[in-house]
Amino acid sequence: MKALVFSRQPARYAAAVVAGNLRPGRGARYGPLSLRDVDPPEPPTAEWVRVRPRLAGICGSDLATIDGRSSRWFESVVSFPFTPGHEIVGDTDDGRRVVVIPVLHCATRGVDPPCTMCRDGRVNRCERVAFGHLEPGLQCGFCESTGGGWSHEMVAHPTQLVDVPDELTDGQAVLIEPTACAVHAARSVGDGAVAVIGAGALGLLTIAALRAMATLRGPLIAAAKHPEQVRWAKELGADVVCAPGELERAVRSTTSSLVLGNGQLTGGIDAVVDCVGSEASIAQAVRCVAPGGTVHLVGMPGVTSVDLTPVWQREVALRGTYAYEVPTPSDRVGVTPTDDFAAAVDLVRRLDLGRLVSATYPLARYQEAVAHAAEAGARGAVKIAFDLRSDRERTRR
Amino acid sequence: MVTRRLPRLPFPLSAPTVPEGLETPAGRPRSGADYDTAWARRYPARLARAALVEAVGRPVVAALADPRREGLDRLDPLRRDGEPVIFAANHHSHLDTPVLLTSIPEPWRHTLFAGAAADYFFRTPVTSALAALAINAVPIERTKVSRRSADRLAELIDAGWSLLIFPEGGRSPDGWGQPFRGGAAYLAVRCGVPVVPVHIEGTGRILRKGRTLPRPASTRVTFGSPLRPAPDHDARRFGVVVEQAVAALADEAATDWWQARRRAHAGATPTLTGPDAPGWRRAWALGDPSRRRRRQRRRWPEL
Amino acid sequence: MPRPGFVLDVDRSTPPILFHHGESFRLEKLPAGRSRVLYPGEPLQALRDPDGAIRHALDHPLGDSEPLRALLRPGMRLTICFDDISLPLPPMRAPDVRQRIIEAVLDLAAEAGVDDVHLIAALALHRRMTEAELRHAVGDRVYDAFAPDGLLYNHDAEDPGNLAFLGTTPDGEEVEINKRAAESDLIVYVNINMVAMDGGHKSTATGLASYRSLRHHHNVQTMRRSTSFMDRHSSELHSSNWRMGKVVRDAGVKIFQIETTLNNDTFGTSGPMSVLQKREWEWSPRDRATFVAMKAGLDRMPLKARRKIFQSWRAPYGLTSVQAGEVEAVHEVTTGNVFRQQLVELEGQTDILTMGLPYICPYNVNSVMNPILVMCLGLGYFFNMYRGRPPVREGGVVIMSHPTTWEFHPVHHPSYIDFFEQVLSETTDPVEIEARFEKSFAEDEWYRHLYRTSYAYHGVHPFYMWYWGCHGLAYTGKVIIVGGDKAAVRRLGFSAASTLPDALEMAQDVVGRDATITHLHNPPLVMADVK
Repeated sequence: MKALVFSRQPARYAAAVVAGNLRPGRGARYGPLSLRDVDPPEPPTAEWVRVRPRLAGICGSDLATIDGRSSRWFESVVSFPFTPGHEIVGDTDDGRRVVVIPVLHCATRGVDPPCTMCRDGRVNRCERVAFGHLEPGLQCGFCESTGGGWSHEMVAHPTQLVDVPDELTDGQAVLIEPTACAVHAARSVGDGAVAVIGAGALGLLTIAALRAMATLRGPLIAAAKHPEQVRWAKELGADVVCAPGELERAVRSTTSSLVLGNGQLTGGIDAVVDCVGSEASIAQAVRCVAPGGTVHLVGMPGVTSVDLTPVWQREVALRGTYAYEVPTPSDRVGVTPTDDFAAAVDLVRRLDLGRLVSATYPLARYQEAVAHAAEAGARGAVKIAFDLRSDRERTRR
Repeated sequence: MVTRRLPRLPFPLSAPTVPEGLETPAGRPRSGADYDTAWARRYPARLARAALVEAVGRPVVAALADPRREGLDRLDPLRRDGEPVIFAANHHSHLDTPVLLTSIPEPWRHTLFAGAAADYFFRTPVTSALAALAINAVPIERTKVSRRSADRLAELIDAGWSLLIFPEGGRSPDGWGQPFRGGAAYLAVRCGVPVVPVHIEGTGRILRKGRTLPRPASTRVTFGSPLRPAPDHDARRFGVVVEQAVAALADEAATDWWQARRRAHAGATPTLTGPDAPGWRRAWALGDPSRRRRRQRRRWPEL
Repeated sequence: MPRPGFVLDVDRSTPPILFHHGESFRLEKLPAGRSRVLYPGEPLQALRDPDGAIRHALDHPLGDSEPLRALLRPGMRLTICFDDISLPLPPMRAPDVRQRIIEAVLDLAAEAGVDDVHLIAALALHRRMTEAELRHAVGDRVYDAFAPDGLLYNHDAEDPGNLAFLGTTPDGEEVEINKRAAESDLIVYVNINMVAMDGGHKSTATGLASYRSLRHHHNVQTMRRSTSFMDRHSSELHSSNWRMGKVVRDAGVKIFQIETTLNNDTFGTSGPMSVLQKREWEWSPRDRATFVAMKAGLDRMPLKARRKIFQSWRAPYGLTSVQAGEVEAVHEVTTGNVFRQQLVELEGQTDILTMGLPYICPYNVNSVMNPILVMCLGLGYFFNMYRGRPPVREGGVVIMSHPTTWEFHPVHHPSYIDFFEQVLSETTDPVEIEARFEKSFAEDEWYRHLYRTSYAYHGVHPFYMWYWGCHGLAYTGKVIIVGGDKAAVRRLGFSAASTLPDALEMAQDVVGRDATITHLHNPPLVMADVK
């Protein structure tokens, strides 16, 4: 079957780094990602089922991998060659339409007894991600054994499958996984004022989640660069939308803080959610946060250089947010598990978030798809996905 | 000793000898109070003087005295009429004249002539010529009361030249001023021109009477409002007015304009001649001679 | 003999007309047969002896007032208030007329033996004046005599300890002014009347007031009913100030008002810049060469350099009149003198009004003209330079020429930046702006801090700039800015055109083809008396 495969080829990886720096998304053309005819993956145990993806989304972490921007931290939790793609809605053999929870936790790896994190339902913090009967891999889009969404067939453990209600379209379903990340981020934010930096897919979903789930006592400020993003941010519930360069001034006037000599604010906003993950955005987040506040790193940062003095002096917390929590069979009895996926399904249905899928591409046009996803903001798009239902080209929904 | 005799050149290459019993008529005096300075007011000399003042005088004065010039806006009403003006200043040092020559603005700067003491500046032909060329000096008799000096000055003023004169008559011997003489006021009344009082502060510290080497310090030149004699003023009363004006300018320079105005209206302006006490107490009352004060460059926020 | 102003009907032989375009100039051809240009009169003859005229005015007051000499006595508290840096425009050559008057007043005060004198720059909510600007206004002698002892200072409208509440007008307007001024035995106000809006009771009731007072007449409703605020008798702004002036008088505050008028000699009648004041068909070959060279040089220079050159220009204004005494009597004579220089008769209205906007307005002296000030200058000041009716018909189009760069001076106009980014991006409707945003800006602690300690305009000031143009906004059908930064122009709510012909083309949608045009020729200032 045809699948996009990311293999270990150092020379091409170096080329991807250079190309990705020159223009985002070019790593798909020059890097180790290629469209190949491969055998479908074998189920590791009898429990595992086949999934044939219908739509598979392109995520920011995928783009970072393709352009060679991901950190060396991942080297031990990724196994080559792998098929990318972890935002998947597909069909199983017995006719169910499912969304795949990509995290490969103890239950999927056959690790028994499960680690303490998995037992508490915190599968995103699983301590056994490189062990068990699977190759190392954080999620199924980074693991050799499982395959990934950007192909026509992959395998998944039953605990990874969530049935999609019939009333949801495929477009809405493919957004459930990123919405779950946003829901998880929104849960950890308190109820004061919030600023969200970045209005790409993750940023917009975070805004929607914050508005829906948290009962915010303060304003929700969003920093968005492109006009389409501004429109979406307003529609999904931001109180104030400003340009990225104007965020400090917007924070100053909404929180009535004063300004010190260097332009530093004396006050600030209680929570800043950084959905971009660049050096500039983290620095800006640290500048805007109130003393004692929290900067939530939702967008995957890389190796960055940040002046941590304000973090120290103003007692600011830097907090990472990764993936989500889902109930597992090993959950402790009596403790209600947090189900970010269920909340995500609910949110997608209520707000019709399928509208955020701006365009879909067949696998054969993967280079254009990746380029579009990398420049989504400037081109007025939010989420780009691969359409694997037929070989026919699909236009923007 | 062997004396080499220089060959004697014949007349007319050398000077003639006078036959016995005859006398040669006196030529034009080449020094003294009757020295004719008209050549210094012709164009070649004027050009040379302008070049001297601008190219040499300005930098030297700036280096030695660093003068701060105040009150130039008070001269604006005089520009319209184009009449000559008498500048009356106090006198502490030879440096006063160069400082004033470089401070007095156009249109008077290059049509200025100075009244200089005949017995000091016009003692020898060389000093006479230099004085006439450099400062357009005209001799004034100090010791004798003479109408000729006054007539000469009046003639020049009527011809359109502005006069720079020090009514004290000479430099201050001890740092305090001397009583003003009536010359400036007399000329103002006679020719019908305004008098601009000027106060120079600080030149006494640089080169006072008796010294030869100057010590650089900062100075201040304050121009006052032009004074015209009232219809009932004679030269003597007008002279008092001029002296009080210069004293008020001294007060303004020492304190500030508002206090000087109040004291002037109350008649309480401190006099230029200092306390009526002998010797050391006069010197004591002068105050501390400050050394070279770097004048504060005006610095305020450039926003 | 200076020639009076007149109206030129543009025909095919009319040369292109000079338009001010911020820190540059443009020559634009107006369509023949349907355009007219309003030319101001030539500068009136200045007084020959300004100091003598001032002394005469102080000794021969107008209205119910004694000569100043008689009002001064030892032991009294005297406060001299003077107009701030927003007048005159551009700043005039030394000596400033305020310097002459203040020295004359202080001379009389010295003669009378007055000791307690304060000098206050009556700037209301404008920015504080710097040392250099104060020295220029009052002269070095007065500055050095009073400023070191803290007796010469800027009015601080946010200092609760230095404000005195004097009462309320019958219409409920609170009157609160500077405490030192209110408690003085005599206020001597030194005013420069550059346009007919200045002076009168407005000097004290606005210049020395606080936000509590100002908000009663600096609001949308008042400005909409000031048609125009250059004509006191049709201006709700002035009616309010006059009511406040009565409260001030009834509270026992004695004011000796000294008002002056200047001619409109902005760029000189001789010298390299004089070409800008001449009528285009009277430009000599030398003038034309000067203009071409100037324009070429300016176009090659970076904006910062151009700004510096223009902001350092000092106008050779001449004093045309000075009168002193009782406020209302003095102001009548003053407005007459202002009109004598600026007013030109105009018959009827046209469909379009065009104007070239200069690089300077009252609020950006030594600073940057940001887009909000462009709107205020064009739709506020220039649009309202009329008496009777505006030169353009209701629903017509106003076309302004200015580069409108998206640039703000961070020290002088910090609240303007926030106003442009946060308020104008939401709405440009003055009523909505006033209701939703004015209070938070007026009470913001940071802006208050900057107003009191830095050189910033008060937090609420950008709102006043917007209100100044709200009569124009309501009256016109469309506003087009020629040659401006497109993003900034759109943020203001106007349309952007690159050239004047394009703008006239765009105006066709509103006023139809063959629309008639009036152009206000400036420099220098001109006021239309529309019949």
